[in-house]
Amino acid sequence: MVDRVAHLFSSKSSIATLTMQVSDENGPRSLSMKIWSLGDKVLVRINSPQDQAGTAILKIGRDIWYYLPKTNRTVKLPASMTMTSWMGSAFTIDDLVKQSFLTRDYSITTSFEGKRREVAVYEYTLTPKPDAAVVWGKLVLQVRQANLMPAWQGYYDEDGKLVREMTFSDYKNTDGRLVPTRLVMRAADKPNEQTTVVYQDLRFDVPISADTFSLPNLKQ
Amino acid sequence: MTSLLLLAKISWRNLWRNPRGTLLTALALGLGLALLLISLGLLDGGHEQMVADGVRLGTGHVVIQSKGFQDTGSQELLLPVSAVSAAEDMLLSAAMQPLVRGVSPRLVATGLLSSAANNDGVRIIGVIPRQERTVSLIPQRIVAGSYLNDDKPSGVVIGSELARKLEVKEGSKVVLMTQPVRQPGTEAKTQPEGEMQSTLLRVTGIFTTGLRAVDANVIHLPLPVAQTLLGLPNHQVTQIAVVLGREGDSLAVATALRKRLIGAPVEVLTWRQSMPMLAQILRLDHAFNYIMNGVVLAMVGLGILNTILMRVLERRYEFGVCKALGLRPIQLAIMIVGESLALTTISLALGLLLGLSVQHHFATSGLDLRWIFKPGLNPALVFDPILYSRLSLERIVWSVGIVFVMATVLSFYPALKAARTDLPGALKVL
Amino acid sequence: MSLLLLQLAWRNLWRNPRRTLITMAAIALGYAMLMFVACLMAGLRWQMIENGTRLVLSQIQVHAPGYYPSRSLQKTIGGWKGTDVGGLLAAIAADPRIEAAAPRVYGYGLVNSGHRSAGVELMGVVSDQEPKITALHTRIIKGHYLSDRTPTGVVVGDKLASTIGIQPGSQIVLLTQAADGSMGNDLYTVVGVFHTGLDALDRSLVLMSLSSLQKLLNLTPARIHEVGIKLHDIADATVVAAALQLRLARIPPVRVMAWPELVPELANYIQFNRSITFVLFFIFFLLAVIGIMNTMLMAVFERTRELGMLMALGMRPFQVIGLILAEAAALAAASLILGAAIGAPLLWYLQVHGLDLGGATGEMVSLAGVVVGHLWYGRQDFPAYYEAALGLAATALLSAFYPAWRAAHFRPTEAIRKV
Repeated sequence: MVDRVAHLFSSKSSIATLTMQVSDENGPRSLSMKIWSLGDKVLVRINSPQDQAGTAILKIGRDIWYYLPKTNRTVKLPASMTMTSWMGSAFTIDDLVKQSFLTRDYSITTSFEGKRREVAVYEYTLTPKPDAAVVWGKLVLQVRQANLMPAWQGYYDEDGKLVREMTFSDYKNTDGRLVPTRLVMRAADKPNEQTTVVYQDLRFDVPISADTFSLPNLKQ
Repeated sequence: MTSLLLLAKISWRNLWRNPRGTLLTALALGLGLALLLISLGLLDGGHEQMVADGVRLGTGHVVIQSKGFQDTGSQELLLPVSAVSAAEDMLLSAAMQPLVRGVSPRLVATGLLSSAANNDGVRIIGVIPRQERTVSLIPQRIVAGSYLNDDKPSGVVIGSELARKLEVKEGSKVVLMTQPVRQPGTEAKTQPEGEMQSTLLRVTGIFTTGLRAVDANVIHLPLPVAQTLLGLPNHQVTQIAVVLGREGDSLAVATALRKRLIGAPVEVLTWRQSMPMLAQILRLDHAFNYIMNGVVLAMVGLGILNTILMRVLERRYEFGVCKALGLRPIQLAIMIVGESLALTTISLALGLLLGLSVQHHFATSGLDLRWIFKPGLNPALVFDPILYSRLSLERIVWSVGIVFVMATVLSFYPALKAARTDLPGALKVL
Repeated sequence: MSLLLLQLAWRNLWRNPRRTLITMAAIALGYAMLMFVACLMAGLRWQMIENGTRLVLSQIQVHAPGYYPSRSLQKTIGGWKGTDVGGLLAAIAADPRIEAAAPRVYGYGLVNSGHRSAGVELMGVVSDQEPKITALHTRIIKGHYLSDRTPTGVVVGDKLASTIGIQPGSQIVLLTQAADGSMGNDLYTVVGVFHTGLDALDRSLVLMSLSSLQKLLNLTPARIHEVGIKLHDIADATVVAAALQLRLARIPPVRVMAWPELVPELANYIQFNRSITFVLFFIFFLLAVIGIMNTMLMAVFERTRELGMLMALGMRPFQVIGLILAEAAALAAASLILGAAIGAPLLWYLQVHGLDLGGATGEMVSLAGVVVGHLWYGRQDFPAYYEAALGLAATALLSAFYPAWRAAHFRPTEAIRKV
């Protein structure tokens, strides 16, 4: 079970097409993007809206490059900008491109079995390993008993305060796997704002050539 | 000869014929001297403290760093290992030992510190705790937790402003992320820089220096951790900060180090060169003090002038009588001068007693200036709200000398005048 | 009766003109020196406040409530709808004490030129309004200031320019997180380079036109972060800020802050500087006590016989005290007038020509985050002069109290017999 949980979010490679909707005090807005990932390399390209189409992010290892179509420049993102929010959403750039190394960074224990929010779930508490470079005090993951799909993930600081939470829903079968296609992320101190990610297409273990993840390719 | 002795005796007894007047005068003069000593002590002390504190919140009296670091601050400029050993050897040598108070090698870089709540850009300083304690003021300004020590290898010490922004406290987790340093000899375009590294740290202590820039930006962590983070396999450092026992030795020590390291791509700077802002602030403070001392001296001078002139004037009658009784003008003059010398000596003794004891109190317990400031904030002059007085022997001698000369010279004029007092005029006072 | 007492007191003073003159001279000189120092310090304080606020800050700032100190991009005045900027400026400028007001927009981002980038603070201003409230436009060392002719022009600090290798004519990219979350980015041209001597500005400030920055940040023209204000007399800052806060409180809701709230470090230093002057007052009063007490004691004991006679003739003890105190007061008053007369030309000189500390301080000095020149001009500090004068009068009366008390206790019979 622990293994299953750890492997929920990982695969050798994937291509995803999704839309991200942000609603906050500035009003709602929506972006659509395509994300390629292979090992520790990730490429994100924005397709709409029109004024941001072509913007792309390339991550190799821990280095991140940003391509700006408007000025036709590629800029390497300094460490200080990786924690800024991605497109004003509740996700950071770091979230977008980082791999989840759950088993590497966390020890997983089962903490509860039963009903949460009217749904029967297995609840796991993930505690960061002593040397893991993560800021969280703990993560709590609730997995539906019915289809063994994630339902809710909470990010807590060391004092046990909930800092942000993600809700999963709309489970669909794609490419032979059952996956949640709707993710909603919310920061605990901004209850009126949230970011919703909906996957239109999601394929795993697809062959992707290595030069997809190169600087020249960013500009396409 | 005997007449001189006689005159002296008369002088002395004259003083005590009017004990209240004499004492009041002595008190006035003594108070003047005491005020001078106290104000000099406090102003000098404040100034020295500013240097000491400023230097210890920065890069020490003398700093050795890679050539060009002062201008660019680029974290890629590291000290060659050979230079580091040469410098350290020299600083530990018998010749330098009595001058040097502390030596601290440091690695300086920038990075991002994140907590669960927030993140911020920081100035990373990798240090050897034991050595940094002899050099920096930060270990002494810890307000929560404790400074780095060897049994907390992944500890980090941050400023109170930063702690507030990140919403962390002692013991909290933080993650530090930074760009490793490009190794010398690699081309910028052909080889990408090393991967960004991040590492987990625990806040062991929080400090407050009063300088917002420091409290919001600077973090200290163990040198080995910083070196690993920045991908430095050769255990390199950015700078060596040196704190001396006396500010006056800065130039000499810097020159000696420069000679020793000639040919190496390093720069050896005194604090005036590495912290020109501090040097300027000190020059301004010096100017201030100059004006203040001048005014205090002038006021004390006026007080002395007033006291002595009046004292002499009131005794015209007396002098008239002396002359009528046959005292020669020159003898009268000597008598007056003698009296004034005696009086001045008593006053100086009183003044020294009062002044030095008050000054000693300020030197040990300090003068707490906190009632002047709004609570919580220090002026950016970089000093402790508790002002410690420092009075050098030179200053004491100078002060005593000035007061003595003033008092004595001021009594010559009336002495001369008195010697020429016309009898009828003087006696008319009655 | 009291007039008679005063006349008597005055004449008594002049019975021993030399003594009176000496004491008067001492006190007068001391007072003149105090005025000189007070004037110099007031000038220094004024210069520091001016310099601290004149470059970029401005003397009073108006923001949306909650904008300061976090400076969140979203918190524009009037919220995300913005406000009628022209109307707001007009409403502010209605106060006659205000000389000018101008709108500002801020952002944080990255400036990129070739391979080099640096984190910067972006400030959007209106090129013909901003110079009315601040003086950064006078610090251009290369190229020129912003103007309407170059809408995509930016002005940067010299340290930033040398760190990333740009100069007037260079093209740069500014990258920032816009209000809608997207990555705002655009090309700009460097038109000027400034030097202020303040590291924070020279290293990280990028000045550009308000409308360009609004575009970059995806803010509508109605959205600004701040209105900067300059007053005719900066001494009014706190008062005007409070008045403005009351007047503007409704639409849109705002928070008005005067410079002491914006740069508390500077405010603290100013207070410290004032206290130094008080210390000098204290020393002056201390010496005045001695001088006056000495003088009055001698005056009293000299006239033992006479005072004894007066009391024998029916003068009451309290009248004697009154007489002595009146003498002391007259002495103080005369000294103050003399002191003011001596001091006035000094003050005039300070105000007009200033004190050049060139040798002592070097070119420019940075103090409490503010740059101060080496030529210090004085500024009249009338409150300080009055306080010193009042203090002296009080000191005089206090010092004369002991001699007066002694005099009142003379036994008339013994006193008359004294030679």
